[in-house]
Amino acid sequence: MTIQARHPRLLKLTDPPIILGHRCTRCRRVAFPPDPYGCEKCGSSWENLEGLDLEARGTVRAIATVHRHHHPSPSTPFTVAVIDLVGGPVIKAIVAGVEVGVGVAVEGVLVEDVADADGNIMVDLQFQVVT
Amino acid sequence: MSGSNVLSSRPVYVVGIGLHPYQRRSDTTYVALGVTAVRSALRDAEISWPDVEAAYTGTALLGMGSSRIMLSRLGATGIPMTQVENASASGSSAVAQACLEVAAGRSDVVLALGVDKPRGGLGAAPGQAGIENLESGTVVPFTHFALLASEYMHLHDVTVEQVARVALKNHRNGASNQYAQRQKVRTLEEILSEPISGAMTRLQCCPVGEGAAAVVIASEDGIRRHNLDRSRAVRVVASVTRTEGLYEDGVGIDAALTAETGAAAFNEAGIEPSDIDVLEVHDAFAIEELLYAEALGLCAPGEAASLVESGEFDIGGRCALSPSGGLLAMGHPIGPTGTGQIAEVVRQLRDEAGPRQQPNARTGLAHMVGIGAVCVVHVLRKD
Repeated sequence: MTIQARHPRLLKLTDPPIILGHRCTRCRRVAFPPDPYGCEKCGSSWENLEGLDLEARGTVRAIATVHRHHHPSPSTPFTVAVIDLVGGPVIKAIVAGVEVGVGVAVEGVLVEDVADADGNIMVDLQFQVVT
Repeated sequence: MSGSNVLSSRPVYVVGIGLHPYQRRSDTTYVALGVTAVRSALRDAEISWPDVEAAYTGTALLGMGSSRIMLSRLGATGIPMTQVENASASGSSAVAQACLEVAAGRSDVVLALGVDKPRGGLGAAPGQAGIENLESGTVVPFTHFALLASEYMHLHDVTVEQVARVALKNHRNGASNQYAQRQKVRTLEEILSEPISGAMTRLQCCPVGEGAAAVVIASEDGIRRHNLDRSRAVRVVASVTRTEGLYEDGVGIDAALTAETGAAAFNEAGIEPSDIDVLEVHDAFAIEELLYAEALGLCAPGEAASLVESGEFDIGGRCALSPSGGLLAMGHPIGPTGTGQIAEVVRQLRDEAGPRQQPNARTGLAHMVGIGAVCVVHVLRKD
């Protein structure tokens, strides 16, 4: 049995979980997600982009419940939010709980999917109201 | 911004417009769609195909090499033909290239065509960039815009009914457009039914079908030499393309990019936003029309929803917004959309739009955004 992240290059499966961003060592721009090519602000190459741990905490800027989806997963309805992370970058992620609304403080938690036949568990990041 | 305004040194005009109706995917080949639109545009211009010196085909979905097999059926004249791909703005960019070629003096008569047929998916390149994101697979375009709607409604105290009124207006406009994919007047109740994502319902999302739109661009020399009807020619006074810059975290890129591109186009045309009598914008989702009306400076931030509600953006109002029905009703077959917007604005400025006619329309604008993000704005004027 293994535990895998749905987005292994974007997350650390710690408690609380960490979101992986990057910082340009030349212009100091902080951004998400990690980028293998170059800095959009100053144009310096990928060698100047260092990994940066971002706290999975922030405030909801916008929210939408999705009723139609062309993939079986996630099953509808599910709710997506735009979240202003405390570390600066703005992300979009799935949120859970009826209390989540615009302006509400949220934090990331790891949610387990159902295990497959070999018992492997896939985990993904979701946001919920700060407990 | 650098660069001289080539459109002021050598004026260019739209001298012919033609469309194949936008429709659900059918057995009609893209060649039949394209040839129908081009023949119609040539008839409208009263010019013959051998007089066309170059062609640009805006298409995003057909695959490589679409132009020659199609346009040679008007006569294999051997002229230069180039496909132009700029996502949803492909047809707008075909027009931009045609204008540039005429303004640069390389040709006097150039065709810009948009044609497409939808396939399974859009196959957009950014998904293959190797830049993983948390929302991959969960946030598709209608949810991207549903989230912008959520932010807008919260920020400006706007209701879902007010946003839905954009679709109410555009479906009403589309009902009298013979080229529109959706030609049915809808009630607010119908528009609010069938939720897709957030505030966006089925009728607040554009249909992606098939179709074609063509415009013939000519110089003054071309108009004179081919004895074209000058009284129906509409001048292109600005053609501006921009791509997304780096904005502050959280700033809506579609509106910020539109504001920059619009400002550059107004500057190039030497006009103010208040001079616009008629415009077509990228209303793929109802919320977009509100965002872009504000970004283009037609009104203050947060004001567009109440102006739509009070009829200021209706045909006959202060400024007709999406008189064709927009992407919401006329449809968004991708390649043709931007070219079709130019055709509608030209029809309006010629006073030939029939039941959709905005009275006394002199100055018009066409705006598209596309995945990338890219933005293309044209300003047209009838002297």
